Amino acid sequence: MSTNIETFKYDNRIVRAFAIATVIWGLVGFSAGLLIACQLFWPDLNLNLQYTTFGRLRPLHTNAVIFAFVGNGMFMGIYYSLQRLCKARIYNDTLSWINFWGWQLIIVSAAVTLPLGLTSSKEYAELEWPIDIAIAVIWVVFAINLFGTILKRREKHLYVAVWFYIATAITVAMLHIVNSLAVPAGWFKSYSLYAGVQDALVQWWYAHNAVAFFLTTSYLGLMYYFLPKAANRPVFSYRLSIIHFWALIFIYIWAGPHHLLYTALPDWAQSLGMAFSIMLIAPSWGGMLNGLLTLRGAWDKVREEPMLKFMVVAITAYGMATLEGPMLSIKSVNALSHYTDWTIAHVHTAALGWNGFLTFSVLYWLYPRLYNTKLYSVKLANWHFWLGLLGMMFYVIPMYWSGITQGLMWKQFTSEGFMQYPNFLETVLQLIPMYKLRAIGGTFYILGACLMTYNLYKTAKSGVFVPEVEVQAPALQAEVAAHDGNDPWHHRWIESKPLVMTGFALVAVAIGGLVEFIPMWIIKENVPTIASVKPYTPLEVLGRDIYIREGCVGCHSQMIRPFRSETERYGDYSKAGEFVFDHPFLWGSKRTGPDLHRIGGKYPDAWHYNHMDDPRLTSPGSIMPRYPWLLTQKLETNSLPARIGALRKVGVPYPSGFEATAQTNLQAQAAKIVENLKQGAITNAPPDREIIALVAYLQRLGTDIKTTNAPPVKTAAN
Amino acid sequence: MIKNVLSDIGGIGLYGVISICLFFAVFTGALFLSLRMKQSVADHINSLPLEDGEPVQKGVSHE
Repeated sequence: MSTNIETFKYDNRIVRAFAIATVIWGLVGFSAGLLIACQLFWPDLNLNLQYTTFGRLRPLHTNAVIFAFVGNGMFMGIYYSLQRLCKARIYNDTLSWINFWGWQLIIVSAAVTLPLGLTSSKEYAELEWPIDIAIAVIWVVFAINLFGTILKRREKHLYVAVWFYIATAITVAMLHIVNSLAVPAGWFKSYSLYAGVQDALVQWWYAHNAVAFFLTTSYLGLMYYFLPKAANRPVFSYRLSIIHFWALIFIYIWAGPHHLLYTALPDWAQSLGMAFSIMLIAPSWGGMLNGLLTLRGAWDKVREEPMLKFMVVAITAYGMATLEGPMLSIKSVNALSHYTDWTIAHVHTAALGWNGFLTFSVLYWLYPRLYNTKLYSVKLANWHFWLGLLGMMFYVIPMYWSGITQGLMWKQFTSEGFMQYPNFLETVLQLIPMYKLRAIGGTFYILGACLMTYNLYKTAKSGVFVPEVEVQAPALQAEVAAHDGNDPWHHRWIESKPLVMTGFALVAVAIGGLVEFIPMWIIKENVPTIASVKPYTPLEVLGRDIYIREGCVGCHSQMIRPFRSETERYGDYSKAGEFVFDHPFLWGSKRTGPDLHRIGGKYPDAWHYNHMDDPRLTSPGSIMPRYPWLLTQKLETNSLPARIGALRKVGVPYPSGFEATAQTNLQAQAAKIVENLKQGAITNAPPDREIIALVAYLQRLGTDIKTTNAPPVKTAAN
Repeated sequence: MIKNVLSDIGGIGLYGVISICLFFAVFTGALFLSLRMKQSVADHINSLPLEDGEPVQKGVSHE
């Protein structure tokens, strides 16, 4: 064997940069969450500004926590561990810094555009198309650095953490590109390539797997690296980690439809989603046990080492959330839990526990090493741990209580067979004390994070930053000859060849999506068309875009499930064929307010006008914010031709030349609404205000099938 | 052609069976591969995080 020892340096600068960004964006993301949590019991907390309403800030919170906090945390951990596991410096320093600054620029763009109402409305993919392109470019930069480092490594074998990083890199790219396909209608507006049911399937395939491959696989990689480091012992079972990896990435990708149970999605897709979700328990718990069992014989260290305390809670939260997720995917459980705060409790068990605590754990471990010192205060770190844990408890327990309470109230009938709580608002008011308790939990969690920030700052001040660490390792070619055999049935064969491994992983993650998408696109039976469903009018298109801009979908679903409790409350259940012109779909995932799919024609135009001006005028006690600017802001119609053109490109059958008559069509419909408003004693409403377009859209919702009693018509294509 | 093939799936109840079979195949495949691995190789790979070539920094512990 050759002893060609090489000397090289690990780059700590990029790790420090991502670590600082993680802490800063964490505080921003948590604070945005606390603000919108408080708005749910204190609606005026948006200060009557359109930029700070719940609808616009909710995506800011989710994007900040997922892509800014966890995203930077992920890069921090990967850039640190990848170098050490590959025994090589990161492939290219310039690319590292493009990755860093590009990512921060994307986050800042999100923080500016989302409050401005520039959104695609697709959950966790709200950013508009120019930012989507930037994300794809920066992700490619990251992937080049990842694969470049792997290819120039000095260690033949790829440790399990690196497999998880590879899976994250290729799958997130695939998810992001497929889900973001859209036709632009200007610099800050686009329409999804998919419509209705297909859009819903693609979106929840994306969103579910963003959780899987952005929030989970990357952090499992961090767990597999930092837990053995902190415990100073190898992972419990390397073999179990192989099974964990392949089973997890293969199964996760199929489970997206569990977000659409009892919706208009075809039943076969729902069943598939449910079946694979239940299977997910096996690999998830395999991973959790592998993590926890790593600490066997080292539990004494957990008492002394704050980093390990955070890690143990993070892994336990992962186990809880990955048991609960499959349970929530069982259709009968989902019938109760969906659209309620139960889902909010579930995701926060994972976000606060798994992602939050694991990030804190890595930060506490890294900072002393980056600054060659010891942690400033173990006592403060312990305070952080208990505040964070208490904060989680105060968050999730009230949300479970709230979710189950509301779910049961929605479904409650009297002995005479009438709805016990026919007024939706009654079920909301019941939850206010829970919302207040949740805000206390969030405050505890943020206080803990502030303590950590101070602790890490003082740690940094007490040491000297180590920008580079010089190490030595034998070159890779010296190692190759040492290994015997090329038996393809050894897993070592795969994991020592990164490109083969990447190919297998790509097949594993692509197969589930293809099996679900292809039948949905090709077999017309999946979306039976309804002859009376027509494209939106120009005024309604603009009204729908205002609905999207204001983030109404964050609190209102447009999907009535086929339960008596829903058809009694809202009207006829929603059919797949009703959404064929919905680019994007707006089914929503949470009912903080009632479903709106059959709101059209339920109330007079004047009711909507007054309701948007001040929801408490029409619905005393409502927690919806006021939207007075809709009554004063002029409706922007210059972009109408571009919008109609883009919608035509994605498949809405507007006749050619429709743009020329669109303006006249719009004015005629607006004049009609102004007349209707006069009957409701609103005599001064100008026809060119945004509220007119929104009313037009709301009054159209769900009315198409009321114009005929004809059953769904199958297309000739069948 | 692919359209006709997929249309013939009909009822699509078969998807549940196919999904179970695929799950079983991937799971047992991973199990097979992992069990075939030599213990010495597994131990080597498992120890990689602990042998990153970095000198132990003095004083880097939590009191």
